[in-house]
Amino acid sequence: MELSESVQKGLQSLADATFFDLKTFSVLIEVAFRSLLSAHADPSVLDQPEFKRLDQKLLKHCHTAVTTCILEGVKQNADKSSISACLEDVSFDAERTEVFYTTYQKYKSDLETLLSSLGRCPPHVNDVSWRLEYCIKNGHVHKVNEPSYLISLNVENANNGGSSEDVHFSCTMEQLQDLVGKMKDAAKSLEKATQL
Amino acid sequence: MLLVLSDEHKEHLGFLPEVDSAVVGEFGRIAVEFLRKGTNPKIYEGAARKLSVDAETVQHGVEGIMYLLTESSKLMISEVDFQDSVLVLGFTEELNQLLLQLYLDHRKEIRHILSELTPSLPHYHNLEWRLDVLLASRALRQQMKPTVSMKLHLGESGGEKSVKVLQTDPATLMHLIQELEKALAELKTTHCRRILRNIK
Repeated sequence: MELSESVQKGLQSLADATFFDLKTFSVLIEVAFRSLLSAHADPSVLDQPEFKRLDQKLLKHCHTAVTTCILEGVKQNADKSSISACLEDVSFDAERTEVFYTTYQKYKSDLETLLSSLGRCPPHVNDVSWRLEYCIKNGHVHKVNEPSYLISLNVENANNGGSSEDVHFSCTMEQLQDLVGKMKDAAKSLEKATQL
Repeated sequence: MLLVLSDEHKEHLGFLPEVDSAVVGEFGRIAVEFLRKGTNPKIYEGAARKLSVDAETVQHGVEGIMYLLTESSKLMISEVDFQDSVLVLGFTEELNQLLLQLYLDHRKEIRHILSELTPSLPHYHNLEWRLDVLLASRALRQQMKPTVSMKLHLGESGGEKSVKVLQTDPATLMHLIQELEKALAELKTTHCRRILRNIK
């Protein structure tokens, strides 16, 4: 795991018992993990009673360092040995490494879910609604007498903060059969692929 | 159902008995061609010179036939109704037959052309799909996320095509298939069958 100098310095301060006793250290680790998972950036995240006596600048630096380290670890799917090696490099003692690693295991899968939802992808289809209509006539042609489907794909675009841009289209029964047939082909291939 | 022709329309068509049935046949052919591709005023002038009449008279004659054809096709009137409607113009039997044949030969095509004028949504043309597995992203390495990428081809009634690239996951794909199969099954229910049978 490669960490920048600033992050390493922050972690080194965190390892230092003169700045953070074990209890304060543990609280900061827990707060750091939870702050990553909370939905809103909470400016009062560091307003814990245990931190009142600390130098606020140092506190912020260490918080940033540890959250960066956490994210890097989750991103790389770091195992116990990589994390231990990394923390040893910044002078964490065995106890503190253990506290860190235990909390890491506790929150790792939630953090993975969070990270996997970041990033760009084509608009994602979530749902489909349909409507079956029978067209009798319109302004230009009478006696149409044909059924038709109106399909709406509910699409979420992750880039625009989850806004929906639905895709609407109409189709005849034959066209809908074609569409469903092709989707079933895709599903069959998926099934075959999972059996490989 | 009978077509009601306005006086102006009758006047325009009044030019037709004054020329050969071959010429009327030619006018009919021009009318259908104009319906397919749009009008071309130069043709009126050419014909007018050959027949020694006003270009305007020729134009009215052709437009009269065009309107007669579009109205009849729109309403999808029967042979008998068409003949009765044209009877009111007082044409010869030969001319009536000519017009009737013109209508019957081209009404399906004309209805198709007219239907392009109706407001409509993009129609489905095709769906291409692809199975992918997401292995890594900038934010997270070592992933194994199966995704289905789809390219949906849609077309407007004016012929313009559009393509939408979409993505979904396996669970949603199964859900989509289920929902759309329900939609297809709906057409086979007694309720829909009854409507389709009775509204004709």
